[in-house]
Formats: sequence, structure tokens, C-alpha cells
Amino acid sequence: MSDARNAILQNIRTANGALPPASEIEAAAAALIENPGDLRPSFSDQDNRSRFVEKATSERVTATVSEVAHLRDVPEAVKAYLAQASVPLQVALQPRGALTELNWDGIKTHSAPSPNEPAAVSIADLAVAETGSVVFLSAPDAPVLMNFLPLHHIVVVSAELIHRHLEDVFAIVGKAQQDQPRNLSIVTGTSGTADIEAKNIRGAHGPRFMHLIICQKVT
Amino acid sequence: MKQTSQHFTQNVKAALADPTLKIALNRTTGLLQRRRAQVIEEFAEYGAARAAAEKIKDHTLDNLGHYLEQFEANAAAAGATVHWARTPKEATDIVADICKAEGARTATRVKSMLGEEIGIPEALARAGVERIETDLAEHIIQLAEDPPSHIVMPAMHKTHEQVADLFREKHKVPSNSDEIAALVESARRELRPKFLDADVGISGANFLIADTGSIVTVTNEGNAELTVTPPKTHIVTVGIEKIVPSMEHCAVFLRLLSRAAIGAEITQYTTFYNGPKRTGDADGPENMHIVLVDNHRTEMLSDFLRPMLRCIRCGACMNHCPVYAAVGGHAYGAVYPGPMGSVLTPAMAGLKNSKDLPNACTLNGRCKEVCPVNIPLTDMLRSLRARQFDGKLVTPVTRSALVVWGWLVRRPGLYHLSTALAVLAMRIWSMNRGRIRRFPMAGGWTGSRDLPQPGRGTFMQQYGRRKQK
Ligand code: SF4
Repeated sequence: MSDARNAILQNIRTANGALPPASEIEAAAAALIENPGDLRPSFSDQDNRSRFVEKATSERVTATVSEVAHLRDVPEAVKAYLAQASVPLQVALQPRGALTELNWDGIKTHSAPSPNEPAAVSIADLAVAETGSVVFLSAPDAPVLMNFLPLHHIVVVSAELIHRHLEDVFAIVGKAQQDQPRNLSIVTGTSGTADIEAKNIRGAHGPRFMHLIICQKVT
Repeated sequence: MKQTSQHFTQNVKAALADPTLKIALNRTTGLLQRRRAQVIEEFAEYGAARAAAEKIKDHTLDNLGHYLEQFEANAAAAGATVHWARTPKEATDIVADICKAEGARTATRVKSMLGEEIGIPEALARAGVERIETDLAEHIIQLAEDPPSHIVMPAMHKTHEQVADLFREKHKVPSNSDEIAALVESARRELRPKFLDADVGISGANFLIADTGSIVTVTNEGNAELTVTPPKTHIVTVGIEKIVPSMEHCAVFLRLLSRAAIGAEITQYTTFYNGPKRTGDADGPENMHIVLVDNHRTEMLSDFLRPMLRCIRCGACMNHCPVYAAVGGHAYGAVYPGPMGSVLTPAMAGLKNSKDLPNACTLNGRCKEVCPVNIPLTDMLRSLRARQFDGKLVTPVTRSALVVWGWLVRRPGLYHLSTALAVLAMRIWSMNRGRIRRFPMAGGWTGSRDLPQPGRGTFMQQYGRRKQK
């Protein structure tokens, strides 16, 4: 359909006239977001971690939070969460060495989430303080469906990877095409819907519960 | 969907006579207005963000060709196939051809208004592909065989009682309860296996990122990722105006979109997709196709409707429109209802087929006020009215009345004299009862309510008297 392509681009040229050089367009685009601090909520009285916890546990986002000192303490925290949520001690684990190598004695683990997986554990690659969101970058050891199929989504968040704003996360991932993972998902709480009478209901298609385990040190 | 905008008046009569619709609209629009007001109040930088968003969109539209070509190159580098379509037919042919080439029997679909605009549901039916709508609201209207009535909440016209009846009839394992949570659970049960079995996943995109070639979806349900990850093929159909320069520019819109649409600081799931599955990935589609659709957008670019291309489809304008709140979305008889629809439908389907729409507006201006990209909706509706007059699309009576009016207002002396006489006549007619039951040529008004008795003299006369004091 290169006919369509040429016709559309030609119509645009007719409407817009000649374009300035690419460098000028880029400079103009950059100038529009020169001071991103003016365009987003500021929370100068809060550090990243306290803002993250406040937003993640807010009425709208509804995650629960527990804290551990080391990554090796995660299985205990998972066990405690599952027990209080009355979920059988069985989880799908993101197939990441850092997770699978931990001592999961007492919990049955597997790596591929089933269609109706009751609970899964993932490590968040990054997190956003502004909105209380966790960020997942897809990779061979980080499948996408792991974050969408379980009913209870347990997410390990490393405290030092909580960044202030969305833009900070984008800067870390990198700007260029080749820096991008196949999927970059910003997840804020659980799957919800307001499609019936605008009432907010949890657990639409994805997880109904999100539990965050904030880890002081991942190593 | 079938366009019925030319029957707006009949549609409105039917809508006003529907008591359940009134209940459904009352339960929703007020709630959405309050939620939006609250998060905007908490966002001190809102004014600056809104002004920046407007400028970013204008800049992108000014350099649209540059950004589209940049997007195309980057999306291709990520492994996606980019297609271009001038018309809905070209776009849906591309989609149908891909489905055929893949031998697809089923397609899951994430709600996308562009998909409705170009007629994806009909195209899939023609191609013999079973369509599974995954957005809860789209699932409801698919089962009910209704068109969408709102761009963010397409099933806004349905009460939960109606949804309960529908699910009892159509779901394999329906719930006994009418509670909304139980209905949501029932839909989850019904749809989960279908997500995983589909051959093709079709989505729209809320944004295209020029410098990375990413497409972005924004949902609360997480159904976009569940729709496009398991099938072998992911098809994206998207309007060319959805493009923004970079992810940082996109951040400005993400903050505004969710606040304006549902009163949230961010939606639950925002995902940037870059091409198909990579070596070693455990899941993801093997092919990704992106269809860039024009459908009158380049015409709007060289027209007074150009600002309309800034629209991010948040739905705030309809949530705040008194006409929409009274008649709902179906009365507009088109994919896009409410104020933004009254501008878009004439642009896409022709003014002749939608001539009542620009007039279905009180010009109260709330749509523009709440629009996160400051689209002058009322100005454009006014211009469309003028275009109707110039194109002789108004009735002869209206036309001659407007001609007489136009002649009169250009003669201020005569105008003041005649309005003063009219006020006097109305005062005499009302015989000081404070109200007027019936008045010549005002049957449309007095049919359902009284006219108030005018004050002593016209506004200008009263103003003059005060100034003298
Ligand atoms: S016109 Fe403005 S308020 Fe209406 S849907 Fe578009 S962006 Fe939202």
C-alpha cells in the first residue's frame, strides 16, 4: 500500500507546507518539555520510598506492602502473605535466577503461570514514586503474562530502584529504539474496571490483589 | 456501526422516553465529574501541564510528516510491519488480509475507538473471523448487540440490573448475584480461556512514540496485554494523529488522560510495545502489524477543524455535557458522541448526514473548559453552524429567520426599538401573572414549560436607567 503512504504524506505536506530541518524540529520538541518539574506533581516534602508506599497503598491503588531487609527474606514474606490471604502455599516464580535460587522450602514453586494461577512472584525492574507504580521490562527471564494471569500478584521492589517520576524511569531505560525492551509495562495496583455504572471494581481480567515486598538490598 | 446521525431528532425522542437510560446516565456522569474535579484540584501543576500538552500536540501536528516517517523507521527496526491506509476500507482490508494469511479463526480485541470508526467488527464478520471483545464494556455491548454509547465507557447506557440479565442469558456459568463485583467475576470466567486461545489480538494505540517506534496502550483492566501477548499475531490500528515525539512527551499526556477520563493519577496498566517476540522470550506475538489510518484526518489538518486532531479521546467533554447527560451516546448515531463527536462526525461522515449535531449544543463551554488539550469545541461547533448556513443545509424557515435577524442586528437603533416593543408586548400578554403559558411561535418552549414574564424593559433600557442614577 505504498500508494496510501505517499498520498497521506503528500496531503500532510500540502496542509503543512515545507518542513524545517530535523535538527530544528528536535530542538523545538525538546524546548516544550525543558522544565518537566513544572508539568508534574511535586512532592518535595517526601522521599521516594514514602511517596511510593503512600500512593501504592492509597484507596485507588489498593496494594499492600511488607518490608524485608534482604532478598533471601522474600520467601518468608511470601509465605506470610499467602497465609494471611488464605491462599495455598504455591506460587509461580518469574524464571529469574535471583528469585529461583532462593530457599523456597515450604512453598511449592513452578515457572510457567497457569491460566488461572492463584499467585505469582515477580521482581520489578523499576518503580515510580510519583504514582506508586512498578515497572516490568520483558525479557527471556521476565515473561509478560506472569504479571497478568495470577489472582494475587506479589512483587519484589528493591528500595534503591524506586525513582521519582515517570521521566526518570524512561531516562534509565534509554531514549533510543534499540534501548527498548519488547514490553515496558507500568503497573499501578491491580486490574480494575469502572465499566458498569462507573463503580470501581477490582480483579477485572488481571490480578485482584497486589502485594509489594520492599527489599532494602537486592544482593 | 450503522450511522444514524441524520435521524438525531427521532433518536433523541426515543432516548428521552427511555427511563432506564436516564437512571444509567444519572448514576455515571455525576460520579465521573466529581472524581475528575478532585484529582485536578490535587494537581497544582495542571494548568501548566495542560498548556504544554496543547503545545506538544500542535508542534507534532505541524511536523506530522517528519514524526510519522520517524515512527515508521523505528517501528520497522523493532521488527513490526507498518501499513498505511487512507480509508476505513483500505484499513480493514489490510486487517482482513492479515487474518486470512494467518488462517485466523478467532480474534480477541481491545477496545479502540479507531477500530469502531473504521468498522473492524464488521470486517472480521465478513472475513469469517470470530471476534471476542475483551474490554468489559465492549463485551457487554457485544453480547447485547448494541453500538458503543461513550468513548471511554461504551456500555454507559446500561444499568447493572440490565447487565445481570444479559449475563444470565449469555454466559456459560453466570453468577446468581446482581452485584457489580459478581458480574465482573462472571465476565472474567467467561473470557479467560478465550484470551489464551485466540489466533490474532487486535488493539488500538493511545500513543505512538516517534523516536522509539513504540505503540502505547492504556487500560485499567489489563486486557490489552492479555489480548495481544498470547496470539501469534498482534495487529494495531491507529489514527495518525496519535503520535508524540518521545516517551517524555508522552508522560505529560499520561498524567492528563487518566485524570480527565476517570479521575485517576494514572491508569493501572500503561504498556509500551516494541515489535514482536524476541529470541528467548517466553511469550509474545510472532508478528506485529501497525496500520496507520488517515480517514479524513489529513483533510482536517488543512481546515478550521485542525485543533480537533489534538484530541486524546478522554471523554471528559461528554461527561460534562448537559445534552449528552440527557440523551446519552446512542442518540448521536455515530461512533463518537458528545461534543467531540459533534465535531468529528461531520468531518468524517459529511455535514449533510449529521446536520443536527452542531446544533445539539447549548454553547455553555464546559467541554472546552474540561478538555485536557484545550480544544475550542464550542467555537468549532459554531463554525460548523455557519458552514451549514453557507451550504444551504438549514431549513428555509430557519434560513429566512436568520436572514431577517442578521439584517436587524446590523441596525442597532431599529434592533433596540423592536426588542423593546417585543418586551412590552410580552409584558402585556402575560397580564402581570409572572409567567406566560402560551405565546405565538414559541410552542416548542411553552409545550413543556412556561416562559417567564420579562422584566421592565430590555437589558439595555435597564442598564441605561441604572447609569442615570
Ligand atoms: S475533545 Fe478534549 S475532552 Fe473531548 S475527548 Fe477529546 S481530549 Fe477529551
